[in-house]
Amino acid sequence: MLNMQNVTKIFRTDLVETRALSDFNLHVKEGEFVTVTGPSGSGKTTFLNIAGLLESFDDGVYDLDGENVRHLNDTQRSRLRNEKIGFIFQSFNLIPDLDLFDNVDVPLRYRGFNGSERKRRIERCLELVGLANRMKHLPAQLSGGQQQRVAIARALAGEPRFLLADEPTGNLDSKMAHSVMQLLKDINDEGTTIVMVTHDPSLAREAKRNIFVKDGKVSDVTHISASAPEPIASISASGARHV
Amino acid sequence: MLHLSSWEIGPIFRAMTRNKVGAVLIALQVAVTMCIIVNAVHILMERTMQMARDSGIDEANSFYLSSTGFADDFNDQVVIQTDLDAIRALPGVIDAMQINAIPISGGGWSMGLQTQPGAEFEGVGTAVYMVDDHVLNTLDLELIAGEAFKPSDIRWRQRSQRDWPAEIIITRALAENLFPEQSYQDTVGKTLYINDDEPVIVKGIIDKLQAPWVGWERLENAMLSPEQTLFSSSTYFIRTEPGRLDELMPAVEQMLADSNKGRVVRGLRSMQETRDRTYRRDQAMIKILTTVMITLTLVTALGIVGLASFNVNRRRKQIGTRRALGASQVSVLRYFMLENFLISSMGVILGAVLTVGLNIYLVQSLGLTKLHWWLIPVGMLTLWLVGQLAVLGPARRAAATSPAIATRTV
Ligand SMILES: Nc1ncnc2c1ncn2[C@@H]1O[C@H](COP(=O)(O)OP(=O)(O)OP(=O)(O)O)[C@@H](O)[C@H]1O
Ligand SMILES: [Mg+2]
Repeated sequence: MLNMQNVTKIFRTDLVETRALSDFNLHVKEGEFVTVTGPSGSGKTTFLNIAGLLESFDDGVYDLDGENVRHLNDTQRSRLRNEKIGFIFQSFNLIPDLDLFDNVDVPLRYRGFNGSERKRRIERCLELVGLANRMKHLPAQLSGGQQQRVAIARALAGEPRFLLADEPTGNLDSKMAHSVMQLLKDINDEGTTIVMVTHDPSLAREAKRNIFVKDGKVSDVTHISASAPEPIASISASGARHV
Repeated sequence: MLHLSSWEIGPIFRAMTRNKVGAVLIALQVAVTMCIIVNAVHILMERTMQMARDSGIDEANSFYLSSTGFADDFNDQVVIQTDLDAIRALPGVIDAMQINAIPISGGGWSMGLQTQPGAEFEGVGTAVYMVDDHVLNTLDLELIAGEAFKPSDIRWRQRSQRDWPAEIIITRALAENLFPEQSYQDTVGKTLYINDDEPVIVKGIIDKLQAPWVGWERLENAMLSPEQTLFSSSTYFIRTEPGRLDELMPAVEQMLADSNKGRVVRGLRSMQETRDRTYRRDQAMIKILTTVMITLTLVTALGIVGLASFNVNRRRKQIGTRRALGASQVSVLRYFMLENFLISSMGVILGAVLTVGLNIYLVQSLGLTKLHWWLIPVGMLTLWLVGQLAVLGPARRAAATSPAIATRTV
């Protein structure tokens, strides 16, 4: 599904060169749920941006769904983002002047679906996140957790193969965070591949695999087996358990 | 890519209604600009057309000057005859004559002509030019019916004289004003009445000759009276061969001054200058209106650039998010162009109403003519175009926004 080999990303400014990723290697299989943790500035967002075709990289190979994306032009990348990838952001990134319906509609319009198809998808996705009755509301009229659910509905509306989330629960309290996490897990159970960056070890532990990034490299991979969650639970600082 | 759904007209409009202050202000500005520009263009066109009206004479090669005798032994009649003979004999002069008033100059004689005798009948106003038998050649007029003046038709008019010659020549416009029911040819030979009951006969019809007053609605009503005036001052009108004017103007002035020391020669002026002076206010008006139009258009364009730039900066994150969700650069460009198009559309629709309103007001209060209907769509198109050009820069900057903004900004 997602295959990165020796991907290197260097940010150059007039004064400094930052190696945000250096020889980054990762393979994510179809249907996986991978969480990414690591210290601040370690390159998690950079990895996610490259994975989501939001940013280019300097060296290495990245195949998305079997396609080498290195030399795609902007239009082709936009098209791939639109069709294959769903994004969920830490601060939700809903468009404040559009109601929920129109927000979820945004990627569908770029896709070129007709009106009835878009309506069907929007209603189904808002239904899925439990906000079908708030369609005409503006984002500002919702709680943070609800806004993130709308963002998830928006990410899902195009039925992407691949969902990327950068600290999707970072702005939410733990109760809302866990309900969002549960939603993502349900989505993953339906077959969508998910890569999620998080600072919360208790959430990281709920995925099938957790990778730890340090200094722009994958430094540790933890495979989590659903049948044996105990060892990880013991290193979780909060010890909070999701019900 | 060309699906209508990807044009986002609905969402753009709905987003605008939730954030309308800027859009409404720009739409109003567009409306006012259009209203003023279209009416200004209308006035410009009207003025330009007025200025372009043909006076009927060979303006480019004509000039005039006047001679005023002051010496005790000054004999007008002799001097005028001598002067005219001398001027006509100059190489480069096509013809010359004495005249009492200069067309389009602003000053002259007028009177009423009526088709029936009696104080109870209304006269038709006309300018009066007192001229001799050289008039057709000197003014470059075309006789389209009847006969021209013969030398024997010309009489001398004393300063206090009140009566009129037996025959006159009138313009076609005057003929048609006098006898609206008939063709102008039939006017030849008709008797008209001056001063209620003094008869004059129409000897001929000329194609066109403007009166001295360009603002007069009957500008082309003019008559030629075959007489030379013996007033305190005589004005000579001279027509030269093409290209000889500049050389002949000072030459004639000098010649007249030298030939008789008992008079002053003054008022040397070309017809070109006369026209320029007469239309000076219109020229100034055209300059002012043009400046206003350009300034207003620029200010509106700047307003559009300002609002669009502000919106692009304010929505940086939103644009990044849209890009992340699959908007191509073209989609983003189109978003801002369309948004501007919608604002402009509201502006020009309101503008069309305001334009017609202002025109109606100007027609009623200042006597302006009615607007040509096609100026409205032309004005709308122009402002649409100005808007699209103005928004192009900010829209291109928006399109260049990196999708990484979506994750990089908080
Ligand atoms: N646009 C940029 N220009 C220059 N340097 C950048 C840019 N974006 C990121 N960096 C640098 O790249 C490195 C990796 O940043 P990145 O945002 O990927 O870290 P992160 O793991 O997401 O951190 P955090 O947990 O704080 O979000 C950092 O040193 C950062 O300063
Ligand atoms: Mg980050």
